[in-house]
Amino acid sequence: MKKLLLLLLVGFIVVLVYAQSKNTITVKGSDTMVILAQRWAEIYMSKNPTTTIQVTGGGSGTGISALINGTTDIANSSRPLKPSEREKLKQRFGSLGVEVKVAKDGLSIYLHETNPVKELTLQQIRDIYTGKITNWKEVGGNDAKIILYGRENNSGTYVYFKDEVLNGADFVSTMQSLPGTAAVVNAVSKDKNGIGFGGAAYGKGIKYCAVKVDNQSPAYEPTEENIRSGKYPISRFLYMYLRNKPTGAVKEYIDWILSAEGQEIVAKVGYFPVK
Amino acid sequence: MIKKSFGSNWWIVLMLGWMWMNVSWSSETTDESFTEMKGHIDAINETLTEVKNTVDKLNKIKVSGYVQAQWQVADGDGIASFAGGNFPMGVHQRFAIRRGRVKFAYEEKFSTYVVQLDVTQGGVRIKDAYLRVNDPWRLGLALTAGGFDRPFGFEISHSSGLRESPERSRIFQTLFPGERDIGFQFSYANEMGPLHFLNAKFGAFNGTGIEANENDNHKDIIGRIGVALPMYELNMALDGGVSLYRGKVRNNSKYYYEMENKTFKLDSSASNQWKYHDRTVYGVDVQYYADLPYIGGFQVRAEYLIGKQPSTEKSNAIYLGTDANTPLYQREIQGYYFKLIQNVGTKNQLVVKYDTFDPNTKVSGADVGASGSNLTAADLSYTTLGFGIIHHWDANLKVTLYYDKVTNEKANQAATGSLAPYREDLMDNVFTVRLQYRF
Repeated sequence: MKKLLLLLLVGFIVVLVYAQSKNTITVKGSDTMVILAQRWAEIYMSKNPTTTIQVTGGGSGTGISALINGTTDIANSSRPLKPSEREKLKQRFGSLGVEVKVAKDGLSIYLHETNPVKELTLQQIRDIYTGKITNWKEVGGNDAKIILYGRENNSGTYVYFKDEVLNGADFVSTMQSLPGTAAVVNAVSKDKNGIGFGGAAYGKGIKYCAVKVDNQSPAYEPTEENIRSGKYPISRFLYMYLRNKPTGAVKEYIDWILSAEGQEIVAKVGYFPVK
Repeated sequence: MIKKSFGSNWWIVLMLGWMWMNVSWSSETTDESFTEMKGHIDAINETLTEVKNTVDKLNKIKVSGYVQAQWQVADGDGIASFAGGNFPMGVHQRFAIRRGRVKFAYEEKFSTYVVQLDVTQGGVRIKDAYLRVNDPWRLGLALTAGGFDRPFGFEISHSSGLRESPERSRIFQTLFPGERDIGFQFSYANEMGPLHFLNAKFGAFNGTGIEANENDNHKDIIGRIGVALPMYELNMALDGGVSLYRGKVRNNSKYYYEMENKTFKLDSSASNQWKYHDRTVYGVDVQYYADLPYIGGFQVRAEYLIGKQPSTEKSNAIYLGTDANTPLYQREIQGYYFKLIQNVGTKNQLVVKYDTFDPNTKVSGADVGASGSNLTAADLSYTTLGFGIIHHWDANLKVTLYYDKVTNEKANQAATGSLAPYREDLMDNVFTVRLQYRF
């Protein structure tokens, strides 16, 4: 029995040494962040050819699940980790997860460029997406049915919008769920009665709706100045989550992302630097 | 000139006329096609809405489960074991389906229905069957009713699919076999708000487990108050709780044994029959999580229990006597465990666990087997030192190699008969190789 146990221990150490020797970083998660993450990876790999970075999307929920399952090193997320997800990490890895804020984003409301509506209150947006307001004329627009576009429920944008804008209420079932912010922008740009939401980086071919906290407040567009100053009411951080405090190649990569060079790429892609 | 010009170009005029007619016809056709296309798109949208509604309903059904297939080898044939049950007579190694769980949950906005079955070589058994209703104001309150985990301590509710050691501690297996009971429970756990660090559960239960019918009119009260103290900046967490089990067990016989001067004294007065006796357990549990740089997460879990257990002569398990000839033995018990888990990278874990269970705190091993003590092997304490390696092959599959070194308290050297083997440490260590697939 003792010989068997000794043999197993030696085998285990060999497996460990083999497993620790790789220099590949896997990044998975938020579709909102996927272009930014790819740009970071491309530039970093061109300067550090010994490091390989594999970036895939799938949504914040998918990335966080992969982090919990141990199948990715970094989870990109456009929403904070939920307590239940932290609990799973804690039980499996003995860790609460390490949060790194890597960029800031204004969650934009997209309208077709011909839509006469220019601004909405948070309450009106909430009522539109929960099905209480169904016609544009109720918010100062044309007499036309509002066509809702949104994200699938594995998306951090979906969760953030539900939690922060809808105050936890469910989306109305007529909302068409699309598999990426780019798809939402594309749908709204082709539908004069459409409305959608997503990150600022994808806002081409449509117009942004100015948002105000309530009827008495001024309306703000999701501009860099308004988002960085906190005036735009629906702004959020974009996160990278890791299981443990970063070390080695992962630490070097995170440090570079937070450096002036990495944050410059944030601005180029259309988000807002955190430093 | 005009005539000549027209004469030479008459075919152009014809062509233009034909094109105009064609464009006109084409415009009508385009309008029709557009209308038809719009009709198709509307139909597709309608179908998609129906499909979405169906998918939304199906999304409310969650199916999960795991199967644990294992090979075990013990030091001796036919040993009694808490590492997955006793070995059959003459057998010291075996394959087994330790657990084959499948869990169905249907989740509505404020309510949940859950059934979990366990399919093994022993047959199909119910593990959970309950409903839960959450408060609509999102205060974190919930009512659970049916058969489910007793709200006591940490290890009971820590899933076997996630637990690093193959089995629960001996004290939990003895006091709370099967972990579940039938009853109802109120709980509080709110991830937001000022009391986010606090959680509480309490309820009333039969006290006989999920597979047995109630055998008396007394309901057992079980509860736990817990705290969770995360320290995000340090990537550390400290959780813990205190638990209480306050129940009664009815003696179906007139025979009642109680400890006095290191022996069980019999009281056989007729008034003992149908009398209730305390089944009380107090518990405290703590879990500590820390992130060790370059190695991985580290966890320490510990739990201590003390109380009274109405039981029988040859078993320290709960008294479930159904006839008038089974005497009740009241024992004072205590036990604890601590477990260390070290993650090494993302795929490997090292585990060390030490647990001890003293089923009769009023005596030591030397008293068992002494003349006239009425003590049995059920009064001997046990310690188990377990250590193992877990390799997570992928998100679903894990392999566990685990060794349980079991040590029993030695009985009196004058012990005879069935107690004679307990004068020495029994040959009952067990090595387990387990494959688990979880989805």
